Order: sequence, then C-alpha cells, then structure tokens
Amino acid sequence: MWKNTPLISQKYITQYFNSNKTCGKLHQKVIYYFEKEVTVYNVWKNVLAEIEQKISAANFSTWFQDTSIVSIEDGVVIIGVKNSFYVKQLRSKFLNLISDSLSKNGVEFNEIEFEVQTKTKSKVRPREVTASEVTPIKKHIKPIKNSLLSSNGLNSKYTLDNFIVGSNNDLAASAAKSIVDAPGTRYNPFFLYGGPGLGKTHLVQAIGNELLRRNPDFKILYTPIADFYSDFINSVLKGKGNEFSQKFRTLDCLIIDDFQFIVGKEKSQEEFFNIFNALYQLNKQIIITSDRLPNQIKSVDERLASRLAMAGAFDLQLPKFEDKCAILRSKADLMGAKIEDEAIEYIAENVNTNIRDLEGEFSTILLMSDVRGLTPLELINKGAVNVSHTSKLRPTSTKQVIEKVAKYYQLTPEEMCSKSRVANIKTARQVAMYILSKEMSMSTTKIAAEVGVKDHTTVMHGIKKIEQDLKLNFALRDQIDEIKEKIYG
Amino acid sequence: MEIEVSQSKLAKALNNVSRIATGKVTLPVLNNVLIRVEKNKVSLVTTNLDMAIVDFLPVSDSKDGVITVPAKLLAEFISNLPRNEKIKITVKDYKITVTAGKYSSSINGTSADDFPELPEINEKNAVIFKMGIDEFKNGINQVAIASSSDLTRPALTGVYFNTYDKTLAIAATDGYRLAEKKLVKNVQSDISVIVPTSSLQEVLRSIDDSMEEIEISFNDDLVRFRLGEVEIISKLIDASYPDYKRLIPKDNNIKLDVDREELIRVTKLAALFARRSASGSIVCEAKKPDVFSVRSVASELGENDSTIETKVEEEGKISLNSRFLSDALNVLDAKTITLEFANSVSPIVLKNKNSDDYTHIIMPLNS
Repeated sequence: MWKNTPLISQKYITQYFNSNKTCGKLHQKVIYYFEKEVTVYNVWKNVLAEIEQKISAANFSTWFQDTSIVSIEDGVVIIGVKNSFYVKQLRSKFLNLISDSLSKNGVEFNEIEFEVQTKTKSKVRPREVTASEVTPIKKHIKPIKNSLLSSNGLNSKYTLDNFIVGSNNDLAASAAKSIVDAPGTRYNPFFLYGGPGLGKTHLVQAIGNELLRRNPDFKILYTPIADFYSDFINSVLKGKGNEFSQKFRTLDCLIIDDFQFIVGKEKSQEEFFNIFNALYQLNKQIIITSDRLPNQIKSVDERLASRLAMAGAFDLQLPKFEDKCAILRSKADLMGAKIEDEAIEYIAENVNTNIRDLEGEFSTILLMSDVRGLTPLELINKGAVNVSHTSKLRPTSTKQVIEKVAKYYQLTPEEMCSKSRVANIKTARQVAMYILSKEMSMSTTKIAAEVGVKDHTTVMHGIKKIEQDLKLNFALRDQIDEIKEKIYG
Repeated sequence: MEIEVSQSKLAKALNNVSRIATGKVTLPVLNNVLIRVEKNKVSLVTTNLDMAIVDFLPVSDSKDGVITVPAKLLAEFISNLPRNEKIKITVKDYKITVTAGKYSSSINGTSADDFPELPEINEKNAVIFKMGIDEFKNGINQVAIASSSDLTRPALTGVYFNTYDKTLAIAATDGYRLAEKKLVKNVQSDISVIVPTSSLQEVLRSIDDSMEEIEISFNDDLVRFRLGEVEIISKLIDASYPDYKRLIPKDNNIKLDVDREELIRVTKLAALFARRSASGSIVCEAKKPDVFSVRSVASELGENDSTIETKVEEEGKISLNSRFLSDALNVLDAKTITLEFANSVSPIVLKNKNSDDYTHIIMPLNS
C-alpha cells in the first residue's frame, strides 16, 4: 500500500505538546500543591453551583463551561478560561458575582485575575452536582439483569417496520412476518443465521415486539445464550434449578440470540434441549440466531442440532448496494438528518463489511458534518472523512492474490493455475477465482486468463460453486477469511 | 435609535458580519448582530466567541442607541430589497422596524445587555504590522492550504506568524506538507503566535476591492485585523508551533526548472489515473539529459506517462500525492518554478524561480 510519511513524527508532536508552558506549569502544581488543589477544586465547585442559581442556564453554560481556578496565592485568585473573549465578558459582566461567591466560600483575596488556558481540562464540570443534590443512585437503577424472567429483554426500538427488506434478507423477513401472523406453526423453530452486524438481533427482536403488540398477554423472553447459562448456573447454585426450567416452560415465545456461544456448556445444553422439547411439544414459538448453521457449531449435540434446523434455517446475507442505500436513507429519515443522495451512495459503496459498520460510518459522518458545519457531501468531497479503513482495502495485484491463495493451500502458483483436476488443486483454483471476483471485482474473462482456465464459463461455475459451498461449509468460510487476512495483512 | 443608510452599503456590511453568527454556541444572543449608534457612528458586531467581526457603517443620518437582532434574518431581508433604495431603521421597545420605500418589516430584537463585550487590543504593548492588502491576501492563500483541520493537533489548525532575520514569515503545515511565505521584510519587533486558519479565512472574505492596506495588531492572546471599515478580532491558538524550519531540506542535489503551466497540466493528467489509488500517488522522475517525467498507474484503468523537457544534471525519482502537488502548483505564481529534491524519501521543495519568498515542501509517498 502507498502510505504518506508524516512530516512530523508523532513523538515530536507529543514532545512539543508536553513542552507547552501552561501544561507544564499545571503539572508541577498538581505534584507540589496537591492538597491545596483539592481545596481549590471544591471551592470553585461551590462557587459555580452558586452562580448557576443566579444566572440563566444559557449564560452559565456559555461563560462558565470550561473555567477553573488556576491558583490562589498572595491574595490573587487566578481563574483559567478558554480565550480572551471569555476574559473580557467575565471581567465586565460577572466579576461581582464571582467575587461575592468567592468571599462567601471563605476565600480571602484582593484581586481576581483571568488567564487563558486553552488546553487545560477544566477541573470542575459546571454540570457537576454538589453533594446535597446527589440522589442515591441505587434507587434509580432497576435491577434489569437480576433475573431473566423479570423482564422480557426486548428493546422496543427494533420493529419490523424499520427492518429494511432487500434481496439479501427477503426470505428471512417474510418468514418473520408469517411467524408474527401465526406463531408456533410453520416456522418453528425459526433458525436465523448470518455474519455479525447483518441484522439478526434486529429481526428477532422485531418479531418479539410485534408478537407482543398483537398479543399483549404473550409471555416472551429474549435472551443471549450467555445470559441463559449464567442464570441457569445461578439457579442451580441456589438450588432452584427446577424453578428455572419451570419458568421457561411457561413461555409462549422464546428467543435465543448468539446460540453459537453454547460451545462447551454441556449441562446448559442439556437443560436447553429439555426446555426446547417442552416448548416445541406445546407448539410454542422458538426463535434462535447464530452466526452459523447448527451442525457447524462445535460440540452441539446431534439430536439438538437436527431439531434446531428442522423447520429450515434462514440466512441473512450482506446487503447489495441498493439495499445499503435504502438502509441509510431510512436511517437518515428516522434521525431527521439531511444528507445528499451522493453522500449516501458514497458510504454505501465504500463500506462492504456489514450493516453495523455501515450505520456506524453513517453516524460518524453526520456527527462530523454537524461539528464542522458542512453538509455530509462537502465533507466527503473535501476528503475530511475516510470511510472505514478496513472495508476500503483492496489487494494490489492479481498476482499477489494468486500467490497468497496458492501458498495457503501449499501449492505453487503454477500448480494451482494448471489444468489439474485433483480435488484440492481444483478447490484452490476456485477459491482464487472467487476472491478475484469478489475482492477485486474483476470480470470473469479476465479471471479466466489469470488463473489459466479455458474460458469465463469455467470461472462462473467455479465462483458459483464456492458461493454455494460457503453456505454450508464453514471450514471453507474460515479458510477464505484467513486468506483474505493474509492478502490484506 | 435611528439609522438612514443606502441598501448596498447596509447589505454588504450585514452579509459580512452575519457569516459567523451561526448559533453553534449555547448562547442564543450570538445569533444576533449588535447594532450600535454613537455620535453618528454606526457599528455592526457579531461574534462566535472565537472571533468577532465589527463593521463600521457610513450612514447619512442617525440617532444614538443600541440593540441586537437576528443577524441572518436581517441580512437576508436587506439583501433582497431593491438596490440603491434608501433604508430607514427605527427601534422601539426592542422591536426594530426597517422601511425602504414600499417595503417594511419589523423584527423582534433583544437588549444589548446580553451581548458579550469584546476583548480589546492593548495598544501599548501590541505588536503592529502594516502591509498591502494584496500581499496579505496572496500570502495567506499560499500558506493556509497547508494547514490542518485535525482538531486533535490544535497548533496545526492555524497559521504561524513568526519573525526571524528581521522578516515576518507565515507558515502552516498539516504534517504532510508545509508552506512558508516571507511576508514583510525589515521588521523591528519580534513575534511568534498562531492565528486560527478559520479566522484568517474570514479576514480574506471581508476583503473588497476598495481596500488597500491591512493593519495587524498582536497581543499575547488576541489579534486584530483592520482593513477598510472592517475590524476582525480573533483569539490566538495557545500552543507551541513545531520548529518547522528544521524540516525544510537544505542539500538537494537534484534541481529542476519547470514551466508551471505545463506541470499543472501534466499533474492533472496524471491525477486522472491516480485518483483511484488510496493516496493519489504519481511518480515524478528526472532523467538525463533533459527529461522530467510524470507517471501514474491505476491497475483497473490503465496508465499515464507524460514528459516535460528540462535540463537534468542529477537523476532521481520521487512519488507524490497528486492533490498536494497540484495545490502547491496552483498557489505558486511565477512562470517558471524550481523543484528540488535529494532522493525518494526526503521531501521535495517547490519555489518560484529566483525567489526565496515562498517555499512549499511535500513529503513523498513511500511504497
């Protein structure tokens, strides 16, 4: 990759920031006058609390936001402020207020000075509440995780309406709709799988919410598998194992997220298997998500694996360009944010990992545009944003890709690109075609020339083969991920 | 309060001051423009607490008073009135009434008490420079492009005004390129301050054709620009600037004189093919006896190779970011420019031929 060498090394930057005079001075103070600092800190905190009562909130947050006491020495109080505009205003409009307040808090002084302190972190945030106002925290926090059964674990922000349906997830979405119409019948259990950040949690949460909306009496529980077994263990420790499973068995709908983490939890697996069977017998809806198919989750009991997928497994795939645009547009509308179509297209084009990254990048750009006062498109055109470094990477040459793939399968590039029909060589060749097509967006004709096969139809077949295998063969998926890592690494 | 003034003058002044009244700050009164009339002198003031713009307005008649009104609204109303219309502004109970022929509107204002007082330059210990407005404008334009927008390195978001060898120089760098301009020679006082680039841009925007001279006054933490009827006050960036002079390479064995227009064209051509690569990299190469070539490759698109004829005494090769190169070429102004570099890892220096006033250096890209 091409990389710009910085003119000034980071080390140098750090040095000159550290050498900055105000910082240095403050640093010293903290060491030598630590006790004094604490008193000063408290005094200023009280002064601010008092001033806040006396002036408007807008005035207070504008003028007193990053203020601090720098020192109180020889009858001179030095107050640190952001810049000279603040010095002038505080001196001319608020000096009396400050001096009254200081005297009330027992500070003896003859003079108040102001000092510009750009890089000083204020020692007191004005919003900080004083001791008397602090309400006991415990009262406010509901014991959410106290027990799984005290809440249903659903987050109402996930709805079917804001789940964007595209060619990547239409099957799963229509299955979800039919579950909502008739829970516990056709798609039971509903097994949903796909990579991280593609909307599994969103979809299953949406099903739960919609079920609850239509049948307010439904007992629904959404839980990540990790919480399931930690609660299970707790119940067993307290000798309430039976109670635990009994509570689960009364549910109308059970949603288990991230089922792949069940790995190695044999006792939990057994408990889950029992609950699963009980619910299934009673035609209760069971919904499970995972990042892979049941039979590919290591150490999952065969009986369980076959049951999990018996009503079919639905996958969520990476969204296509149009889908990504639709997702971003709807998110923008939801947030009431203004963003140009070109900017959306730019983001959609450049983020190829998953929907979570897509939305993350999108929010970053909106935030930056807010902060900088530019529209998202201007921001992008100015090059001020660099959309997701990881997803933008491209291998530099086809040769490199072929070499890396060959090396991974312990072949020489010549061997791999030969006419050999030996199984492992053939697979390697097809993986190379797949990567060249997906990662470098090369045409099939070009790929045919690169890997030395007859024509583009062979390449098309190869890519299709790998695509199909990927759905079922997780070893292959891991292999391809590893190869990609090597290429981009 | 009462003002009588021509539409064109008022519109110009309001448009100038209302740019920074953006209300990004929590204090609502900062969206407003302060209008103050004192002994037949009218001033319009806005501030965003990092800087302030004051515009003194020549008026035909006035009565004393002071008020603040939403700046954007007033500016837009006034600019849409017919040109050369005589405008009359009157104020009663914090309501400002604007009448111009058949048009009239009244806008709710607020008391001037909430409007922050502006810091003032302490004339006694101020360092003051005066220069022609064109030199200033040109100098800032040449340098400010190299400043950074990365707020985590505040020093680099400004332009560094410093004096050495009795010269006032301005410099900016974003860590990948650096520009320095020697602005005023034979100065008496010493200075070393960083002025925010955003404030300088506002100064440039306030410049109009009628202005001839600019006066810049520095205090410890404040700078004031006076140009024509406009006064701009800005904070300074409180940080220390890297010792940039160290970064300008001195011993470059490869020296080339190139026609600027021609190099701009060649760079544009090469940039077409470089756009796809992450950093827009183009490769410049000097070959004996007389070839300077610029090349770029985009594996999917194809490649580009252009040559310029010039005398070459030492051979060498360097990869550059095409955008940085064209930025630099666009602000250089001589017909012929000088390129100097030593090897592919140390920076390239660009100057106008036979002039040391302006220096632009760009770090090479390494593969």
